[in-house]
Amino acid sequence: MIGLNETTAKRLATLSILFFSLLSFAAAQPTIRASARDYDGYSRAIITFPSSLPFTLQKQDNLLAIRVNSTSRFRLKADPVQSRLIKSFSWVQGGDMYMIIIEARHERFRQDSFQIQAKRQLVIDFYELEALPAAEKPGEEAQRVPTEPEEKPEPPAGEAATPPVEGNPQAAKGIPTIVIDPGHGGLEVGAKGKFGNLEKDITLAISLKLKALVEKNLAFHVELTRDKDIDVSLENRAAIANNHRAVLFISIHANSSYRHNANGSETFFLSLNATDEEARRLAYLENNSADLEKPLAPENEDDIKMILWDMAQSAYLKQSQRLAEIIQDELNSLLGTKDRGIKQAPFKVLTGVACPAVLVESAFISNPQEERDLVREAFQENVAQAIYRGLVRYIKLLS
Amino acid sequence: MKKRSISPVQWTLLGLSLIVVLVLAAVLFRGEGGEKIKSAVETTPPEKSSESEPAREAKAIQIFFLSEDDALLHPEKREILAGPSAVEEAEQAVQELIRGSEKGYISPFPPETKLRQLFITKAGVAYVDLSREIMEKHPSGSSAELATVYSIVNTLAYNFKPIKKVFILVEGSEKETLGGHINLSQPFLPLYSLNAK
Repeated sequence: MIGLNETTAKRLATLSILFFSLLSFAAAQPTIRASARDYDGYSRAIITFPSSLPFTLQKQDNLLAIRVNSTSRFRLKADPVQSRLIKSFSWVQGGDMYMIIIEARHERFRQDSFQIQAKRQLVIDFYELEALPAAEKPGEEAQRVPTEPEEKPEPPAGEAATPPVEGNPQAAKGIPTIVIDPGHGGLEVGAKGKFGNLEKDITLAISLKLKALVEKNLAFHVELTRDKDIDVSLENRAAIANNHRAVLFISIHANSSYRHNANGSETFFLSLNATDEEARRLAYLENNSADLEKPLAPENEDDIKMILWDMAQSAYLKQSQRLAEIIQDELNSLLGTKDRGIKQAPFKVLTGVACPAVLVESAFISNPQEERDLVREAFQENVAQAIYRGLVRYIKLLS
Repeated sequence: MKKRSISPVQWTLLGLSLIVVLVLAAVLFRGEGGEKIKSAVETTPPEKSSESEPAREAKAIQIFFLSEDDALLHPEKREILAGPSAVEEAEQAVQELIRGSEKGYISPFPPETKLRQLFITKAGVAYVDLSREIMEKHPSGSSAELATVYSIVNTLAYNFKPIKKVFILVEGSEKETLGGHINLSQPFLPLYSLNAK
C-alpha cells in the first residue's frame, strides 16, 4: 500500500480543486444576473452584465425588455422573485440580440433606470402609478432613500440614458411629448465643414429653436435627447423617446458627402433590412391594420408586441413616411435649397423608436455655400420653422 | 513497509503539466462557444489560388459608384477573373470599388481602405471586413455613409448569386455605424432604388 503523506494529499486536493474550477470556467457561458427587491414606494430590479454591453430599454404593457445587441449567448441567472410589482425575469434570443424581459404584475408602472458602470449594473426602479400622489413634484423622488443605503448608488454624472420620468411631469398630466434629437454631440462631432463648423453644434442650435417654437405654439411638451454638447449613444436617443412615450421623434442633422458640390435638403425615414421572418411579421401588420394612421387595435397587440422589441419603428413606417413627406414639403418651400426628396434608409437612431420618426438632413455642411447658410441664425430659424410647420400639418391630419 | 516517496520537484512538475493541459482544454472549450462569425470563417476557408491552376477565365461584372449630380449609384463594367468560388470574385469586386471609377464617378471609400477579409456563409451573407480607414477617414454624413454601404451591398448582391445580404465589419468586428448614421449591426439587403435607372 502506498502511503501518501499529508503534504502530497494536500497537493492532490489543490490540484483537483484547480481542475474542477478550470473545467467549470471553461464550460460556462457568460452569465447575466438578475434580482428584484422591494423598497419603500418602489421595486428595484438589478441586472448585472458580464461585460460592458450596449442595450436598450422598451416598455410594452406589463413588460419591460432590455435588449442587448450581441451575438454572444448568455445565461440568465435570476434570483427567486418576491416583489409587489416585479413578477418574473425571462429571456429570448435570436440573431444579433439577446433580450431580458422583466414582467411586471400589471402595466400601470413607470420605470426609472440608471447604470453603475463600475459594477456593470443596470438598475431599474419600478413605480406603481396609482401609488403616486398626483401632487408629487419632480425632484422628490431623489430624496427617497432605500432601506439599504449601500444599494443606492449615485447615477453617473452626465449619464443621459433613460432619464427619469419624474423629470417629465407633462407626460403625467397627459400632455403628449415630442422628442427632438440634435444629431451627434460631445466627442462625436459628426461631419465637419471646410470652415471648421461642426455638425453637432448646428444640430443643437436648430433643435433648440424648434423646441422653442413648438412649446410656444403647440400643446406639446418637447424633450431633447441632449440640450448641451454631450455624447448620447444612438440607442439611448431611442430609449429617451420610448421612456417619455413620445408621440413623434425628429432627429436633426446636417449632411455631408465626398465632394463639395453635393447640396440640398432631404428627409429620411427608416428602411428595414427585413429578414424573411421580419417580412412575414410586417406583412401581418399591414394586412391587419389597414388604416395605419390610427392606433393599432388592441386585439393585434400580442402580435405587435413580438414585433416591437426588435423593430419598434416597423409598426410606424407609414406614419413616418407621411411625416417625412410633409416636413420635406415645408423645407422645400422655406429654405430655397435643392429638393433631394424623402428617402428610406436603415438609420440606427430610428430603429428602436416606437412612434413616427424621421431624420431631417437640413443641408450639406460639406458644401461651402451651405455650410455658411447652416451657421446663419436666419437659416437655422427657417429650418426650425419648416419642421414646425410640418409638425402642425401632420398633427392636424391626425385629428 | 517502505514508503515510496515522490519528491516535491516531481510533484511540482506533475502539477504544472496538468495545469498546462487543463488550460489548453479550457481554451479549446471556450472556442466552441465563440461568436457566429468565427464559425462562419471556419466553414468557408479562403481558398488560396496556386500557380499550378489553369488560367481562370474573365468574367464581366457591374460595380456601382456614386454620382453627386443625382446622388445615385452608377454602374461601371469590370472584367475580373472567374472563380474558383464567389469569394474570390467578390473580393476582386470590392477591390475594384476601392480602386475607383474610370468614368469620373466617386468611389465612396477612403482610398487607403483595405479589404481585410471576405467570406460568404451558407445562409448567403457576405461578410466584408474593411480596414479602419473606412471609419477614420470617412466624411461621416448620411449621404456619404449610404453611398459607401450600398456601393458594396448593391455591387455584391447584383453580381454574385450566392450573396443575398452583406454584413460590413471593420477591423474584424461589428460596428454600430461608420459615422453615426447607417446601422451596421445587421446585414444589408440590396437597395436598388439607390441605383441610377
